[in-house]
Amino acid sequence: MMSPNVRPVLSALLRNRTGALLVALEIAIALAVMVNAAWIVAQRIHEMQKPSGLDIRDTFAIGVSALTSHSDLGAAQRADLAYLRSLPGVIAAAATSSVPFSHFGQGDSVARDPGPRAPAIDERSMQVDEAALATLGVRILAGRNFTAAEIQPLSSRMFAASPEVLITESLARKLFSDGNAVGKPIYLSDDNGTPMTVVGITSDFVASVWGKPSYDTALYPQTPGSYGNYFCLVRTRPGDTVALMNTALRHLATSNPDRVVFLAQTLQYYRQRVDAENRDMVIFLALVTALILSVTCLGIFGLTAFNVSARTKQIGTLRAVGARKRDVVAHFLIENAIVLFAGALAGCTLALAVGYWLSDQYQLPRLDLHYLAIGVVGVAVLGQLAAWQPARRAASVPPSVATRTV
Amino acid sequence: MLQYYIRLALKSLRRTPGLTALMVGAIALGIAACIVTLTVYHAMSGNPIWWKNKVLYAVTMDSWGADSPHDPQHPTLAPPQLTYMDATALMRSDIPKRKVIMTQELGTLTGAPGQSMPMHVMARATTQDFFSMFDVPFQYGGGWHGADLAALPEIVLSQEVNDSLFGGSDSVGRTILWNNIRFRVVGVLRHWAPLPRFYDVVDGAFATPEDTDQVFVPFSWVTTLRAMPDGNTDCHIHGPVANYQAFLTSECIWIEMWVELPNAARRERFQAYMDAYWAAQRREGRFPRPLNNHLTNVSQWLMINGVVSSDSRILLRVAFAFLVVCLINTVGILLTKFLRAAPTVGVRRALGASRRQIFTQHLVEVAMVSMAGALLGLALGAAGLSGVQAIYAQDNAYGMLAHFDPLGVAWALALAALSTLAAGLYPAWSIGRLPPAGYLKSR
Repeated sequence: MMSPNVRPVLSALLRNRTGALLVALEIAIALAVMVNAAWIVAQRIHEMQKPSGLDIRDTFAIGVSALTSHSDLGAAQRADLAYLRSLPGVIAAAATSSVPFSHFGQGDSVARDPGPRAPAIDERSMQVDEAALATLGVRILAGRNFTAAEIQPLSSRMFAASPEVLITESLARKLFSDGNAVGKPIYLSDDNGTPMTVVGITSDFVASVWGKPSYDTALYPQTPGSYGNYFCLVRTRPGDTVALMNTALRHLATSNPDRVVFLAQTLQYYRQRVDAENRDMVIFLALVTALILSVTCLGIFGLTAFNVSARTKQIGTLRAVGARKRDVVAHFLIENAIVLFAGALAGCTLALAVGYWLSDQYQLPRLDLHYLAIGVVGVAVLGQLAAWQPARRAASVPPSVATRTV
Repeated sequence: MLQYYIRLALKSLRRTPGLTALMVGAIALGIAACIVTLTVYHAMSGNPIWWKNKVLYAVTMDSWGADSPHDPQHPTLAPPQLTYMDATALMRSDIPKRKVIMTQELGTLTGAPGQSMPMHVMARATTQDFFSMFDVPFQYGGGWHGADLAALPEIVLSQEVNDSLFGGSDSVGRTILWNNIRFRVVGVLRHWAPLPRFYDVVDGAFATPEDTDQVFVPFSWVTTLRAMPDGNTDCHIHGPVANYQAFLTSECIWIEMWVELPNAARRERFQAYMDAYWAAQRREGRFPRPLNNHLTNVSQWLMINGVVSSDSRILLRVAFAFLVVCLINTVGILLTKFLRAAPTVGVRRALGASRRQIFTQHLVEVAMVSMAGALLGLALGAAGLSGVQAIYAQDNAYGMLAHFDPLGVAWALALAALSTLAAGLYPAWSIGRLPPAGYLKSR
């Protein structure tokens, strides 16, 4: 039933080659863009849905900086923490050198072996006290937390190795393939080879962010402040966070003239700022892809409509010699299907090329072929829908047109 | 003749209002998408001091250790910062017309009249040429002059700091405490936040509100105060530094250096000066790595430091793909539209119109469509940009990232005109080529 129809359709198609070719080209580009955009969007949504590993909603950070070079930051820190922990509604408070999801923080790289040539893994560093895990809402998966005695007092030294270290599960797996790191030594890659014993493995969580959020975090038992500032992280009862943050800010801003509070912000704020970049990309890609698809559909619609109006007389003749309305609709839909097929074929090649290039240039995972398959089906359905209305119009051409001269 | 063509074009466009709207709309959308992404891209990659691109150079010198390059992913690049020893040595040269070294310092401002709480500020510690070299605009006063260590140290405030501490009034001559030391205000900037912050890409080319330069202090105060830098500091020889003097003579890199070299001759002389310094130091046992002294201009500097985010590059390409689809669409529509009017063309040809005249006539029609599309696209693009800006403002991440600059408008117009004309050329040409006879006889 179908096969005898294809030949006349093909010869009709070949009469307006340029138009069909242009539409096929549009389809190819639209398919390539759509498939890869959908792939990127999926990655970004995955990124946004990744758990932080933290109690983001109920935690705020207060940043404190020394006012003069001789301020006693250690004493200031103890007083600040004592005050924060005394506030009703505060569940836990800790001093750290970095704020999760913000730019405030340090990074380093650690390795299984000493020396600058050992393969190292980049991590985000946090100097913490023994209360930090409870404040962050991070669990110990193996080994143990730091003890109070292990926390080194504030020193003016820059970031340096410590005898004990806690690492996240992700980092443990990257350093030791079985993830079994407890009791083993690791090394800061730009240090002289001081071994740091992994005393425990924590659940995955995001520390400060530089680039993409990462679960590779290492915790050092050091009183923060060697950079002249420290952060108090405070976890509160749900719902009290902002009110308590303002109370704490008012008190801390005036309680000690030797240091200043330069920041008071919820972790939610920083998380949203990180998510916003992904969200913007998702919105823009979705928008432009939708526009490309609609313009392509308009192109298909335009081509079919033109063909229909240019061939009114021939359609009339067809109808006069016995073609049913169905056959006329089928004629135009098959013609459109051929264009779609050619476009999709070129589009697949283009999509794969773009996908390869993206993964090569931007370290994106290789395009999942399911996306391509769904994209082809989607374009085929949309394309046929776009041609549907003009094809229906063609079917309504009365056979008598054949006898008229325009 | 042109008037006649315009009348013909208008008539033809009015005959098919749907198609005309479709063409204009598609071009407008494509151009709007390109304007938005181009502006964002331009803001991120654009050289904010392009007029001095040929004379400003970042100074780098590979002082890193023998074991591995500073950046293992780009082993040919020298580290982006200098040691204190090298920076001060290179600053002694008189070859550059202007020269600056700089670092970043966190600090506090107190003691302004009526100030209730200390203000935490990001300070740029730099040398006196900074303002003239980077064409920094002043609202009041100017930069500091002569010896950095004057009796009363001098400070320059950003417009924003001056607004919040002095209510925007002329504060030149007033004093303020920076890190508890009395400074005299000598200048107040007019809003100045080059994007990207080309002069210090190491500490973030797109400063978030928490690390924008708010005050400017003489560099010599950093070392006088024995302040550790708060900008990026990399050391390849680790272990604790004994004291501040040891830090200054260490191999730690923490200083950005820029020079202004007005011509090639001076550039070569300064390069020779650097190389001679390098050779002398190497004889004394420093610089284990091969000679890699570089003077890099601003646009190259932004490129090798990977300032443009990959997101905006992807978006730019997607937008261009969209414009291409829109243009292909327009070519298709124009082609079918012109072909449909072929009988009329046949008549005109038969009556003596030349191919060129037919071509010009259709090109006029194309130009009108493209102009309408471009104008509408500009309007849409401006609207889209304010949308993008609203999103950025809401995120509070980047300042005035995407603003509609005149250069952008010129670009957009050129883009619109060129692309549509290119799209219209083929249809106009193919309609001119049609043999008239066939169309005359068939109907």
